Amino acid sequence: MLRALLEPYHHQRSAIHRLPAGLKAGGALAFALAIVLLPRAAWTAYAAAGALLLLLAGLSRIAPVALARRLLLVEPFALGVALLSLLQQDGLRVFAATLTKSTLCLFCMVLLSSTTRFSAILRVLWRIRVPSLLVTTLALMHRYLFVLADETGCMLRARRSRTFSRDRASAWRSSASVIAHLFVRSSERAERIYAAMCARGWKT
Amino acid sequence: MNALEVQDLGYRYPDGTAALRDVTFAVAERERMALIGPNGAGKSTLLLHLNGLLPEHPDVVPAVHVFGTPVAEPHLAAIRARVGLLFQDPDDQIFCPTVWEDVAFGPLQLGLRGADLAARVERALDQVGLQGFDERLPHHLSRGEKRRVCLAGLLACEARLLALDEPTSDLDPRGRRELKRLLESLPVAQVIATHDLELVVELCPRVIVLDRGGVVAQGPTAELLADEELMLAHGLERPHILRHRHPH
Repeated sequence: MLRALLEPYHHQRSAIHRLPAGLKAGGALAFALAIVLLPRAAWTAYAAAGALLLLLAGLSRIAPVALARRLLLVEPFALGVALLSLLQQDGLRVFAATLTKSTLCLFCMVLLSSTTRFSAILRVLWRIRVPSLLVTTLALMHRYLFVLADETGCMLRARRSRTFSRDRASAWRSSASVIAHLFVRSSERAERIYAAMCARGWKT
Repeated sequence: MNALEVQDLGYRYPDGTAALRDVTFAVAERERMALIGPNGAGKSTLLLHLNGLLPEHPDVVPAVHVFGTPVAEPHLAAIRARVGLLFQDPDDQIFCPTVWEDVAFGPLQLGLRGADLAARVERALDQVGLQGFDERLPHHLSRGEKRRVCLAGLLACEARLLALDEPTSDLDPRGRRELKRLLESLPVAQVIATHDLELVVELCPRVIVLDRGGVVAQGPTAELLADEELMLAHGLERPHILRHRHPH
């Protein structure tokens, strides 16, 4: 499950998948900028933008359920930010506009990541000279998310195989210790990765 | 000139535990030497010294020399280009998004670009039998394939001394056989830390037995590994392959 969410890209042969990554990334950025800059009440423009995204989603031939699930996963963040705007004057309108804008942008990014390999996006970032520290961090994060996900899965399974009680408190305790272990393991792994990077000539 | 010379090497972990004590040995050019011993004997720690990842604070008198060059600043960049270190866990070693980029990491640090770089990477992938794996993602590979990607990353640097930490540990019999053949075909010095004693017999004419951070024996493989008493005293055993060999 975690892996399926982490890894949206599937090798498919739609026209959208085949487009150059630079074009898609650039397009997505331009789209997001345009949406952000639109006036608050430009509802026709929002509708048009939404229709455009739906059209692209259709062309990409990705299962709508998969796209919707990924969008729902990130939507709470957008909702959280939008909720804050309810506190100000004319809050309801600002809330509606903020939620619409962020949902459109998120949908665009979900679409981009579902039709473009992450490594290809990284290469684009590299090419347009995004600071290398940032690109390297993103690359390492993406690489080790999967290792971490696997490690977490293994540890949880190992715990479960030796858990015989249904006591909720002990379940919480064991989850807490899994998380703590994960932190320790991650920091040790970070040291070993850095050593492996140095071993192949990094920063010497 | 020897590929590797280690003279009175000692090391303590930051918490004060002695990890290596008075380790002295040499490896000739193109020689394959095995490093065996029980878990926690200091094999991995020793390998980390071979390209200067340890000690954290380099000694005044370097204890390790690679092709005559002391493993210390300001030579570390040159040393690391010559010494290829294979880590125990392939997930530590493959840190790039794709296989191609990972194999290209070392040569890129060496300053290779464009067609030279591509040729180097292609040849290394070819050597380990991973043609066409360029765009594969590391988390989609099996442990054995990851192991081979790591090795390709070292071969792409054209290292002249390979320090391999348990190279056969995740391999299935076929993978192990192919790795053995590959190591045999490489004309470079190799230090192989392993528990795979059959591999030691098949591959390395000379062996060092390490226990509790110290060298307890070194010499011809057939002789040392046949010494049942020595093997059992240090958490090892006489490999089957030697049991069935009768002196005539």
